[in-house]
Amino acid sequence: MIKVEHIVKQFKSLKAVNDVSLEIKKGEIVCLIGPSGSGKSTVLRCINGLEIPEEGKVYINGQIYDPNNKETYSQLRSQMGFVFQHFNLFPNMTVIDNLTLAPIQVMKKSKEEAEKIACQYLQRVGLLDKKDEYPNKLSGGQKQRVAIARSLCMNPEIMLFDEPTSALDPEMVIEVLEVMKELANEGMTMVIVTHEMGFAKTVANRVIFLEDGQIVEENNAQEFFENPKTARAQEFLRKVMH
Amino acid sequence: MFSAFNKIFTPENLLFLLKGALISLGIAALSLLIGLVFGIIGASCKISKNKILRFIGNVYVEVIRGTPMLLQIMILFNVVPIIISQITGEVFRMNYYVIGIVAMSINSGAYTTELIRSGINGVDKGQWEACQTLGLTRWQTMRLVILPQAFKRIIPPVVSEFITLIKDSSLISCIGAIELMNSAKVLGNQYYEFMSPYCIAAVYYLIMTLTISYFSKKLERKLAESD
Repeated sequence: MIKVEHIVKQFKSLKAVNDVSLEIKKGEIVCLIGPSGSGKSTVLRCINGLEIPEEGKVYINGQIYDPNNKETYSQLRSQMGFVFQHFNLFPNMTVIDNLTLAPIQVMKKSKEEAEKIACQYLQRVGLLDKKDEYPNKLSGGQKQRVAIARSLCMNPEIMLFDEPTSALDPEMVIEVLEVMKELANEGMTMVIVTHEMGFAKTVANRVIFLEDGQIVEENNAQEFFENPKTARAQEFLRKVMH
Repeated sequence: MFSAFNKIFTPENLLFLLKGALISLGIAALSLLIGLVFGIIGASCKISKNKILRFIGNVYVEVIRGTPMLLQIMILFNVVPIIISQITGEVFRMNYYVIGIVAMSINSGAYTTELIRSGINGVDKGQWEACQTLGLTRWQTMRLVILPQAFKRIIPPVVSEFITLIKDSSLISCIGAIELMNSAKVLGNQYYEFMSPYCIAAVYYLIMTLTISYFSKKLERKLAESD
């Protein structure tokens, strides 16, 4: 479903991603983990097109994902939802307007239809009663659940999560992870950059461990956490699993 | 020493100055509005992806902000009509007030260009990214998400720009427009006493500027509430 071939992304003198290739199948849940600055977020952003890699190719559903090809690009992009660390809700709009903006503007849905769908997703993340609030009235966990619902309103086939719980108070983490777990159970294809090792262990099918812009180890989740092969992954796990 | 003092304080004279004050206010308001249009165009140039447009925007802002407003007014008053006359072959005359408003609009436009640009750039980059991932176009993002947020940041400095324009409108007294400053001068010449008309003018200026800044502070507080 997603295929990344030898991508390189450079920020000034720093090679954030250095020759990374990976493949993600339909329905698979893959966690990208690694120390800060390992390039895991950049890989995710390259998949969505928030960063354009200097070298290498990204394929979505077998089609090349190229910003110069306007037609397929926007069509392919609309198949991916993206959830940010800092939510990036629109503070000038109510929750429901946050959710209906893109369906109305991009998918050309009617206001009623968009609102009906938005309400369904709000119900699913348990925030239907907040639909007329502004984002600044919500807690961090609620904001992130709204952000997830906002992405789902575009009916994506793939969900990309960029450290969705890193900006949250510890108590708020669980409610967001619950929503993500539910999505996973429904068979959504998910790529998740996370520091939540417990979550990665229980939910992910596969774990990709990165350091210095390169893939160090890649294995199914259970194998990786119980029996890491590389010394670097062993050291990393020893430090983060306590 | 102040024999003329009482003579000046007649209803007619006070009204005469009030009329001048209203003209100053009107000129400032019109210049601000037209300046905002220039500012929107200028800011669009400065944040555009097109290098030439960005260059034009930069030159506009730097040239206008780097030269005195009085000089700009004088150029429009003395130089531009001559150039136009040379080209068309006919004598070209423009109303003092129109020259004043045009000069001040161009001047104010350079400052509001920067206000609008920094207001737009001040909106978190994540907002652009969120719109990008949702598939909104650049223009949809600008119109529906960025500008409404930038607007809130732009309002307070635009109000202080208005206050600046009210004060700077006194500069067009140099080309003969009868606004508040010039009205005071006219009265002074009439009575051979300048202190009181200038003081009254100062009071009128203060009433205008302080009232506006009072409401601006109130508005600012209200805008801050919803953050």
